[in-house]
Amino acid sequence: MKQAKKDDELSLNPTWGQCTGFGPSAWSRRDFLSRSCNGLGALALAGLLAEELGATPSASSPLASRPQHFPRKAKHCIFLFMSGGVSQVDTFDYKPALEKFAGQRVPKMAGFSGEIEGFLSSPHRVIPSPWEFKRMGESGHYVSTLFPHLSECVDDLAFIFGIEVDNNNHGPATLHVNTGSQFPGHPSVGAWITYGLGSPNQNLPGYVVIQDPRGAPINGAGVRGSGFLPASYQGTLFRSVGTPILELEPPKRITRQQQREEFDLLNWLNRRHQQRRPDFTQLEARINAYELAFRMQSEAPEVVDLSKESEVTRKMYGLDNPVTEAFGRQCLLAKRLIQRGVRYSLVVHGVENGKTSWDDHGNIKGRLPRHVAEVDQPVAALLKDLKREGLLEETLVVWASEMGRTAFINDLDSDKPGRDHNQYGLVMWLAGGDVQGGSRVGETDEFGIGAVGESIHMRDVHATILDLLGLSDERLTYLHDGRFRRLTDIGGKILKEIIA
Amino acid sequence: MRFSAFVLVYGAIFVRLTLGAVPAKTESDQPPQTVRAILNSNCLSCHDQSTRTSGFSIESLESIMAGGARYRPAVKPGRPEESPLVQILRGQLKPRMPFNTATSLPEHDILAIEAWIRELKPDVDASAATTYWAFKKPVRHDPPQVQQREWVSNEIDNFILSKLEANGLSPAPEADRRTLIRRLYFNVIGLPPPPEEVAAFVKDPSPTAYENLLDRLLADPRYGERWARHWLDLARYADTNGYEGDRDYPHAWRYRDYVIDAFNHNKPYDKFIKEQIAGDEFFKVTSAAGYPPLPEPEQAVALTFLRLAPFTEPRGEESRDLLLSEMLTTVSSVFLGLTMACAKCHDHKYDPIPSRDFYRMKAFFATVRIPRAKIEVGGPLPADFYRPGDKERFDSKRAEYKKRLEVVKTDFEVFHKPLLERLAEVKRLEMVNLERRSDELALEIKENRNKQSRLIDLLREGQLEAAELDERNAELDRVLAEQTAELKKVTADLAKLRPEGKKGQGPAVTLQDLKKAVNDEADNTVGFEKKDQLFTQAEKDQFNQFTADILALERALERLEPMAMSLTNFDGPPYAPSVPTMYVLIRGQHDKPGEPVEPGFPSAITGHSKPAKIEIDRYKKHPSRNRRMALARWIASPENPLTARVMVNRLWQYNFGRGIVETASNFGKNGKRPSHPELLDWLALRFVDQEWSVRAIQRLILTSSTFRQSSFRVDQKAAEVDLENRLLWRFNRRRLEAEGIRDSILAISGRLNTEQGGPPIFPPLPTGLNQFTSAETRGAARWDTTRGADARKRSIYVYQRRSQPLPFLEVFDSPPLTLPCERREVSVTPLQALAMYDGEFVNTEAEFFAERVAKESGSESGAQIRRAFQLALARDPEPKEVEQARRLFSARPSQQEALVALCRVLFNSNELLYID
Repeated sequence: MKQAKKDDELSLNPTWGQCTGFGPSAWSRRDFLSRSCNGLGALALAGLLAEELGATPSASSPLASRPQHFPRKAKHCIFLFMSGGVSQVDTFDYKPALEKFAGQRVPKMAGFSGEIEGFLSSPHRVIPSPWEFKRMGESGHYVSTLFPHLSECVDDLAFIFGIEVDNNNHGPATLHVNTGSQFPGHPSVGAWITYGLGSPNQNLPGYVVIQDPRGAPINGAGVRGSGFLPASYQGTLFRSVGTPILELEPPKRITRQQQREEFDLLNWLNRRHQQRRPDFTQLEARINAYELAFRMQSEAPEVVDLSKESEVTRKMYGLDNPVTEAFGRQCLLAKRLIQRGVRYSLVVHGVENGKTSWDDHGNIKGRLPRHVAEVDQPVAALLKDLKREGLLEETLVVWASEMGRTAFINDLDSDKPGRDHNQYGLVMWLAGGDVQGGSRVGETDEFGIGAVGESIHMRDVHATILDLLGLSDERLTYLHDGRFRRLTDIGGKILKEIIA
Repeated sequence: MRFSAFVLVYGAIFVRLTLGAVPAKTESDQPPQTVRAILNSNCLSCHDQSTRTSGFSIESLESIMAGGARYRPAVKPGRPEESPLVQILRGQLKPRMPFNTATSLPEHDILAIEAWIRELKPDVDASAATTYWAFKKPVRHDPPQVQQREWVSNEIDNFILSKLEANGLSPAPEADRRTLIRRLYFNVIGLPPPPEEVAAFVKDPSPTAYENLLDRLLADPRYGERWARHWLDLARYADTNGYEGDRDYPHAWRYRDYVIDAFNHNKPYDKFIKEQIAGDEFFKVTSAAGYPPLPEPEQAVALTFLRLAPFTEPRGEESRDLLLSEMLTTVSSVFLGLTMACAKCHDHKYDPIPSRDFYRMKAFFATVRIPRAKIEVGGPLPADFYRPGDKERFDSKRAEYKKRLEVVKTDFEVFHKPLLERLAEVKRLEMVNLERRSDELALEIKENRNKQSRLIDLLREGQLEAAELDERNAELDRVLAEQTAELKKVTADLAKLRPEGKKGQGPAVTLQDLKKAVNDEADNTVGFEKKDQLFTQAEKDQFNQFTADILALERALERLEPMAMSLTNFDGPPYAPSVPTMYVLIRGQHDKPGEPVEPGFPSAITGHSKPAKIEIDRYKKHPSRNRRMALARWIASPENPLTARVMVNRLWQYNFGRGIVETASNFGKNGKRPSHPELLDWLALRFVDQEWSVRAIQRLILTSSTFRQSSFRVDQKAAEVDLENRLLWRFNRRRLEAEGIRDSILAISGRLNTEQGGPPIFPPLPTGLNQFTSAETRGAARWDTTRGADARKRSIYVYQRRSQPLPFLEVFDSPPLTLPCERREVSVTPLQALAMYDGEFVNTEAEFFAERVAKESGSESGAQIRRAFQLALARDPEPKEVEQARRLFSARPSQQEALVALCRVLFNSNELLYID
């Protein structure tokens, strides 16, 4: 492992050029070191390497399981994304003042810019929540009565109130929450995490996306992409019914035996080819990939086969009820993937803009209960089921949306008022792993518009999610376009208040 | 044992790295945010600038370096274990910190601090601005003398060989002819060589066989199709806006054809730059009368480059700032290899680019006017079809589509008329009910009002007590309020049914209403309870198919309008306000303007901060013009130290897989230093001398002995000295890019449609993908699947949909489409195996490949195997390979099936995917 002779121009730094697959051993461990980390990260990683050999992504096994940067209980993550912008003041962020100010203007408030500032400076009226809030569990968190099931789990949840995202519209905000940037082209949270940790089960993708069967969320592949990271880290779409992965089935008219024969010939040719190029590791990796694909063909359909689940379980997730069936399937599938070692599942509820999106500009009273009814029981079932099987200990569950909504509306006449976008008031909750159940952080003003006191930015939440999975936001970096990039871009603060 | 040896080796590397590294700017050594946070939350209360307990403050790097009264420097760069700060935190020095707490900081916090210290350079130096190599003009070097002179084909080889020799290495022997032709074909035109060409080249006795082949390929129009793809990666080219709804950019494709032409016609690179940044500012105003004419169509199209950022619903000044900033950062990284984006919110952390320079550069774009049209997209400008044959070709296409559209629309009319009538009938019934109810209510209200007014009479007549009057009055009020409310609703519902507001008319049922009713989206129309039974599923499906077909044709027609996704400047005075003042935006926030700035070039390069000279016409008629041209001229100038270097380095990278500077879009300090700086300068100067001829540099690179080396060389010594092959002691093996894989498969099956240029194509998507893309149901950015030969054009013509690219390309690392991509990743995933082995595309082509093989080689299995290998791998099979392949033939029920199986296997083979 000697380096080239010292030379003025030729820096002694191991190169990252290998990542493009040139040279003797593309994607060697050293490539990873140099490309994936700036000096700080590289050094930290060198230490990490000392702890465990082969602990970095390589071409031969980009998804090989890798140790955490520091010990945390959670090894998996289920990210539940409600597409459209969930109203915080009708769900978890209780604001009794709305009653008092019903129909009136919000008193003057400073500190908002952009669209919200405009909303506030134009005529508007406060719309109280149509639903009652009750203190639940030992922690006594207020939860809207819309959530009879989830409110039973409230002592497992840690709430984050008044999160700020970078944009007040769906497209950019959805990207921000899912990728750390409001601009397209950045790796999604799941991509960063599988890049950092690999995945324990090589027979399934490490990062799985279970979309709403009715369609894709805003930005489509943007929310699950690998951005500038290698494609190995992009989310694989998984259907909750039928053939789970696109093109999983071998071509028609070919038996599995025949496929085996073809793979054997392919393998023989590839081996021969590889033996003449012994120092080029990518070839080995591709040979392995075919074997993995072969195994995936049998393992993946088994995951989506929910028929073997007990009646009790099926009922628990609401598979017996047409309202909850779809999301129930998505949640149960997420659990089954975790059981089989999949690192990260992104579970999406809601489709672009339409009836099924949480984008309730009008008729909040009529629309919101429909969305909630679809997810309340399945999400609660997921938490209880994970807990029952001892999996909640090692699984971080995140519930998110791309933004909050306003407690007031500029439309003064509508008899079916809704709520508009609010980039300052997003509420999220976390559960599992080292999350301190029943805790909370952040607080919004009495109208739930934005944070009072120190504000919490989405990057802080991202840093916290990484931390809870044992990943340091500082160390999880990747060189792109001349810069070492990371999920939080400029770094976020860890929300220690919700960590046990 | 291996374990510790490993640690040792790595330790050694890192120490050497640290010592050998470039002196860094102070800023980059500042504690990273996490360390900052750890220090702030634990130490700041006693150790800020004002408290300074024990004389120690953690507020700046300098104060940390200065240390406290007791231990002096708190940090020893590169040596955390010897740094008092760490020793105190670890309790190795007294007093243990944080003071008066039961425990030390968490281990990972201390590790983070240690890691930062370890990275600190001992020679912290803040002033290297104007001496930085990349900001100085290239220096003319004579090609160095070498010993192994017979190896040298051109000057490039002198530079490469001299460095090899200096390191005690020698170059690899030339690759064999079969390898060379395959390498050259893929490198230059991105397709596999036909077997006949391979045979001819292998046998060609001419001493210039290689050069002849190269010249033929460089003159081949497929060269542009291959090399334009590299540029499109940099230009973040896509056909959709990438946000909500992922709306169509109907005219973006014309830019793709422009870039293909630029390579095929060897457009001088300086002109290529100017056209893309300021294509609308070529015309010189020479008279006081009239207006500057529209730009040449080609130059209008070139400007698409500036428009390709993802675009979302505009939000006033915020959006404008984002758009202009994106233009600037893309221009800087693509043409100059400068990461200007870093200077938007603060001074650049690594390069001497103050934030002010970002805004001075942004000011060149101050007068940009993006045509307005559709929300979230922006509009086009006129640009006639200028490529030879395009006008006729697209005119006839348009005529064809128009005719088809008419037919479909007529059919649709016939189909939907009865549906409309059915809906109208339901609505008519609804209306009759509502009208009846309306009349009833009006009557009742009238009666109740009368009753109310009679109450007072009753009181006067003494028939009513005062108390009773109040009570009855209140009751009537309540009833009236209810009735009025209901009437209001009924009237509103009626108005929806009858937009003209005329009583007695039938309900107005529009196609829109029908569409909503068919898709059960009748939320906003009056509820007609039986709507579910109105239409059969078959009718609904057919209705939606018709609408989809019509939309697809309309979109196809829109794409063929003679328009470009161009831009221009806004009119200056007196028609529009004068050029706006540009400001430094504090912390990059669009609503926090700081000092005003004039357009100017980066001071680190020019050495001053004077405003750039903007050449306004002599009549001062058009003060909003020529800002971008000033920038373009400066970039495309032989005096610019970066432009030529950055481009020749890109060409080098695409040919060798790695640039002389490995960070092709970052020539700044945080990028990599050149492996062969003299060669880089020599090539840059040659490029300018050859009037910015890209092809001249290509030819130079491709005819070098360096390029012709074998990749097979195993050399223990070379591997020890230079494992990464930066000195180029052999050729770098590589995988085909996504497009190369798809194009190869089509070329090998014999079904590649070689038609060039034109609107994007939409090859069939994998079955089931529709379910994953909501855009399918929303009409926006649809995938209007192309059938037949059109779907088999080269991959560069595939519709680049940001929300869901073609999965076959995506899985093989196609670019993100949203940010400039200077180099493709190469990943290996089982999903590639699924796409290649199970996917419909490969399986279909495998059948055609088999058909072709059978046709070209007859019925004998040995001949078929031989032909299949020749077509797929550009070589004959070895006897053992024939033997193995034959086993497949004996295992399958029919020879045809066996041949398809073999073809599928060959498509999947690594040998096909990799270039030696």
